[in-house]
Amino acid sequence: MTHTSNAPNAITHRRNQRTKRLLALEAVAESLLSVSGLIGAPVVHSSGTEVGRLVDLVVRWEGEPYPPLTGMVVRVGRSLSWISADKIGELEARRVVLRSAKVDMRPFERRDNEVKLVDDVIDHQMVDVDGVRVFRAADLFLARVGGGYRLVGADVGFTTLLRRLGPARWRVRPHPDRVIDWAAIQPFSDPGEPVRLTRANNELRRLRPGELADLLEELGRSQRQELLAALDAETAADALEEMESDELATLLREVEPDRAALLLSEMEPDEAAEALRDLDEGTRDELLAAMAPEDANDLRKLLGYDEETAGGVMTTSIAVFDADISVAETRRRLIGYEDILRLESIVVLDSNGTLLDDILMVDLFMAEPDESLRSLTGTPWPVTVNVHDVLANVVNAFIENRGSSVVVVDEDEKPVGRILADDVVDSLLPERETDRRFTGLLS
Amino acid sequence: MTDSLISPENGDGIRPAPPRKRKRWMVWLAILGPGLIAANAGNDAGGIATYASAGAQFGYRMLFVMLLVTVALVIVQEMCARLGAYTGEGLMSLIREQFPLRASAFAIVCLLIANLGLVVSEFAGIGAAFELFGVSRYISIPLAALVVWAVVVLGNYRFAERIFLILGLAFIAYPIAAILGRPNWGEVASNTFIPHMLGTKEFLFLVVALIGTTITPYMQLYQAAAVAESGNGPAEYRMVKIDTITGAVFANFISMAIIVATAAVIGGSGPLSSAKEAAQALEPVAGAGAEVLFGIGLLGASALAAAVVPLATSYAVAEALGVERSVSRSFREAPLFMGLFTALVVIGSSVALLPGNLISLLINMQVVNGLITPVILVFILILANRRAVLGAAANGPRFRVAATVIVVVIGVLAAVVLAQTVAGWFGLG
Repeated sequence: MTHTSNAPNAITHRRNQRTKRLLALEAVAESLLSVSGLIGAPVVHSSGTEVGRLVDLVVRWEGEPYPPLTGMVVRVGRSLSWISADKIGELEARRVVLRSAKVDMRPFERRDNEVKLVDDVIDHQMVDVDGVRVFRAADLFLARVGGGYRLVGADVGFTTLLRRLGPARWRVRPHPDRVIDWAAIQPFSDPGEPVRLTRANNELRRLRPGELADLLEELGRSQRQELLAALDAETAADALEEMESDELATLLREVEPDRAALLLSEMEPDEAAEALRDLDEGTRDELLAAMAPEDANDLRKLLGYDEETAGGVMTTSIAVFDADISVAETRRRLIGYEDILRLESIVVLDSNGTLLDDILMVDLFMAEPDESLRSLTGTPWPVTVNVHDVLANVVNAFIENRGSSVVVVDEDEKPVGRILADDVVDSLLPERETDRRFTGLLS
Repeated sequence: MTDSLISPENGDGIRPAPPRKRKRWMVWLAILGPGLIAANAGNDAGGIATYASAGAQFGYRMLFVMLLVTVALVIVQEMCARLGAYTGEGLMSLIREQFPLRASAFAIVCLLIANLGLVVSEFAGIGAAFELFGVSRYISIPLAALVVWAVVVLGNYRFAERIFLILGLAFIAYPIAAILGRPNWGEVASNTFIPHMLGTKEFLFLVVALIGTTITPYMQLYQAAAVAESGNGPAEYRMVKIDTITGAVFANFISMAIIVATAAVIGGSGPLSSAKEAAQALEPVAGAGAEVLFGIGLLGASALAAAVVPLATSYAVAEALGVERSVSRSFREAPLFMGLFTALVVIGSSVALLPGNLISLLINMQVVNGLITPVILVFILILANRRAVLGAAANGPRFRVAATVIVVVIGVLAAVVLAQTVAGWFGLG
């Protein structure tokens, strides 16, 4: 959960900016209507006679930043009726005035993409994309925008909650003490609902993997699944790599095996193997079986290593080249390599397939195109570790090597993987209790 | 690549990765199951005192009540586990989403009072344990409060948790003590299976304490949250259910062993008045070491719960308010969570310092829980009845009747004891 704490100021800034923008629209600030204040309010004809009492407000949710109000549920006598939004003349703080003197009412039937604000939104979990946090809406605000009413914001203030505990008249004045602009909110559908309303907020794409990981960890199960489903596999896999291991194991158990398998194959092999280690054998086998055979085999190989040895922390995604090809040819082949941006060095093989050298990308970049890779090799020869070496030896190798990674070889001196310094740092750190003290408590 | 991929354990200078160590331990706990842990959380300081007092005061007479309580516990814990598995949410979160805000607020207040009562009893338990070793509670309780607070806020909570858990294992000695104490097995059997009740005020009071310590709101919260967070869903529910029921039955088996062991040694001697007396029940196992064994067990169980109960309470309240797990960020960023945790520890330990008998304080706090239990049970029952929450897994008609009867009976017992207590304050008892 430390991912976001390095940039709290940026987050606060982002949030404040948006709220300021929302409230700066003078028309909006003036006309904010509190949903909790409206509930229970009389619904009257234009003539002033009471029709019934407001029970719920319904908005349509189709990916617009500010969902439009489509109607309301009104209690008339002992039954519930539906009045569509075009019949609404004006919403006042404690009164709904209808446009005409006569309305025909019919029972409420939820249409696709419609949500009830009181039943499904207030008090439910949602994500504030700007603030990168999960919250429950204490109140919602509507405003007249153009010809109709729209949902424009949510309130997260504790005082708003307290006000709702008191008598209804306390709720009249919207107190936008902590309003979040609806455009920055990712809501979720109700867990019990058959209709999934997922519309991924485009703003989610701006989040860093660590921020997404935080959100995934904080959400309840169904909301988490919905958020995950809204992300493409690659983005999701990046976020999963940043999650705490026990949270990740829980998440993988919850997801459909096929989707979980897809996510795992998108993850870095060492991270995926670590995640699989945390699962029970049944789930692990099920997920491996659902994967493409070659991905599954790679992971099985990694899982075969003791997790406290070099094999247990290495990644198998390494770029390997024969010593006798030219620099130009190497560069050409590297262009197709998917992880090229993360690559710091390439492994060069001798003619018998054993490790010859580990060449920095920088050196490759500086070399003449028609030179062979072999001509770039030489002292200092790389420090390597054996796959079965214990972590202590790995650390020693790093001390000796002073590089950002070491190459892992098997008994025959053939390269099988690479250990990055940060993987070793992770395993050397004492349990990071400060981060996880309370969240792990109940698991 | 060779086949001998698993290397032997190494004794090397570098410490092996601690997070992975923890995971193994967690896996072990996961096998043990949240059901087992949740239900056995009932065997804390308050539980031990109440069960031992039941044995001391009424001999084997309470065993039949415990049999009924076991049935009720199984039904209640099963509902909580089902809610956790099918919704993936904790109880307070469900209450906030499914009930009007005022009802949710009422549930939170009830929960806070019940759990504050538990915190008081855990600190009383710590005090009583140290008194066995000759340390005054005026020294041990404030120190314990400081240690508990510091361990959670500044230190390594999981390490402490492990130590307390191991200390708490001392109470496994009870079933052995129950056998070695040579109880009258005929009487044990007849008192367990032949229905009976005593109408006296003392008996009813202790019945509510037994209910309060066995069917606690805290355990219900824990059960639902633990299942929800384990990632087990509807597909795994059969296993979850088995774990939950086994856990509840096993916990009450230990509770009944405490009653039998105590009854066999000091049965009929009247209400329990000190930890020394309660410790006598372990003499058949530990002889002269009974007091030490009892003290260690009591200390472990109390200290663990003294940390876990305020933490879980703050967690549940945060969940209901929607600040959720932001609580895990840091002290400064989670003022509500840390403030609540601190307040529970400070108030809880202070109440335990008030002059008076620690054992009766312990039992009184279980009665407070017993009075609040039916309130939370009503929430749970409504949630588990609702198809909007559980779909096809909602309570069926027969289950609904059984669960309703249980809630009503517990409610009536609580109301009677509450009425008697209030009448007692005005000298009408």
